[in-house]
Amino acid sequence: MNTRSGAEVLAEGVSKRFGRIVALREASLRVGPGEAVVITGRSGSGKSTLLALLGGLDRPDSGRVLIDGQSTWSERHPARLRRELIGFVFQRHLLLQTLSAQANVEVPLLGAGRPRGERRERARELLGEVGLADRAEHVPAQLSGGERQRVAIARALANQPRLLLADEPTGALDSATSERILELLFGLRDRLGMTMILVSYDAAIGPRADRTVTIADGVLRDESLPAVGTAAGEAR
Amino acid sequence: MLAIILTNLRRRLTRTLLTAAGIAVGVATIVALLSFTQGLSESAAGFVHLGGAELGVFQANVSEPATSLLPESTVGRLRALPQVADATPLLLIVEGVKRDPAAVVFGAEPDGFFSRQLVIVAGRRPNEVSEATHAAAHQALIGDRLAAQLKLGPGGVLAVKGRAYTVVGVYHSGILFEDAGAILGLRDAQALTQRAGEATDVIVSLSPGAHTDATAKAIERALPGTQTITNAQQAVRAGANGTLISKAILAIVAIAIIVGVIGVANTMAMAIAERRAELGLLSTVGWSPVRVAGLILGEGVAVSVLGAAGGLLLGVIGGDLLVRALGVSSYVSPSVTAWGLGRGLLVGVAIGVLGGIYPAWRVTRMTPLKALSGT
Repeated sequence: MNTRSGAEVLAEGVSKRFGRIVALREASLRVGPGEAVVITGRSGSGKSTLLALLGGLDRPDSGRVLIDGQSTWSERHPARLRRELIGFVFQRHLLLQTLSAQANVEVPLLGAGRPRGERRERARELLGEVGLADRAEHVPAQLSGGERQRVAIARALANQPRLLLADEPTGALDSATSERILELLFGLRDRLGMTMILVSYDAAIGPRADRTVTIADGVLRDESLPAVGTAAGEAR
Repeated sequence: MLAIILTNLRRRLTRTLLTAAGIAVGVATIVALLSFTQGLSESAAGFVHLGGAELGVFQANVSEPATSLLPESTVGRLRALPQVADATPLLLIVEGVKRDPAAVVFGAEPDGFFSRQLVIVAGRRPNEVSEATHAAAHQALIGDRLAAQLKLGPGGVLAVKGRAYTVVGVYHSGILFEDAGAILGLRDAQALTQRAGEATDVIVSLSPGAHTDATAKAIERALPGTQTITNAQQAVRAGANGTLISKAILAIVAIAIIVGVIGVANTMAMAIAERRAELGLLSTVGWSPVRVAGLILGEGVAVSVLGAAGGLLLGVIGGDLLVRALGVSSYVSPSVTAWGLGRGLLVGVAIGVLGGIYPAWRVTRMTPLKALSGT
């Protein structure tokens, strides 16, 4: 499989609120090219919101997120940025239920306008990469939880991302399966050289990464940067 | 993309089929009504050119050509014009045959050119003696279509407005409502309707070299209070009821389109509400808003094409049922044209596009995170 260098991610003073709830308060984070960072925190601490903002899935209320110097929301086409630079893995695998594993992996390639032959070849290659070459024609209902997550990982890698964002990728799996998924993710990161940011409530994942940052009540603590922000939670 | 569209439609098969059925009814309505109006126009053309005439002269400003009344003396004045080769009066009796109310009965001079051009396929022509003496002959000719329908032939009895006439012959003219009707002597028809010395219209054949439009104008100048009809469009326009029918049909077509658009928009909006996470995922993996909207729009168009295809079939059948239900099968034969079917198909696809635009636009307004959360 081809490798691409990892992307640099920079978040500066990013805040986000949903109605009266402050989900993130002036969070700043820098992740270097090829670095693997785990963001940990309790449920509702704002870590998934941060990941969504880093991936350009939502617009920050203030502050900015840059990926290799490109702002995720000032770009005219944030979808293009996601398509060209970022792969996503979620706790819920979010596979399209009526499509086969092969077709699910092809979906991002279809969005990129790749020709059919190339899509098929690439999807087969990726399914082989995650150990599911013999399950290509199976629909999600015919796959186990771990296998579905492997398909989701293959899908995330379809467009050769330089940044992989994983939101609780093992949250819905048993411990043995979780272990295999984490091995797969970190192994892929090592071989492909992409930057990886992984969100998990499980601090035990931390030692696998290059660095761990914690988030509590919307306030991020990154040891590599001076801490900013003092409080978060429900606005009063 | 097409594979995903078809997969999504198959996944919600019941909804897909119900939506397509709704569109099919709309398209069928349009096709049926268009074939009806086309048939109406063709019938009007036949009405103008009865007996091979170039034009018909009617009373001016009547709501329907069939309700026109002209004095029989008009015929002589028309024959006196140099552009006119021949003229013959007709008296129309509608709803006179109880067993087939749609059949039109024509009162015509047996020696007029209207009667002369009829091909007698069974029996003979009525006795001319009776006509010459202005006595009621109580004889009738019957068109081959009506004869087949009523199972009548020479020697049979045709009841018109409760009065019995002996069928002496069966004719064929090639004009639908002529062949689906019957012909009495003009005197018989005048006596039956108590319109002695009157005719509904006078049909005119032109002298060689005479120009139709110029002659029509000359007739209207020479005979104030008359109007001439030279083609089907004029015939349709001349009838207030025909105009009303055309406008009503337009309104029904518009309503069918509006209902179809709302149906598709509703279905697609519901489909989007159910599939927000799925659409959010497509956006997350880099599908542009235009491409996601294209998926929604494509599904709307695919459902519409399915519905339109069924609607075309239903419409062809429906056009025939419509004329039977209205009891006008003797005047109008629904005419399905390629353009009529094409318009039905275009409307079906337009319904899909219009109905899909709003839901597709809504998709482009969602951020991926909001869509993924399904809220």
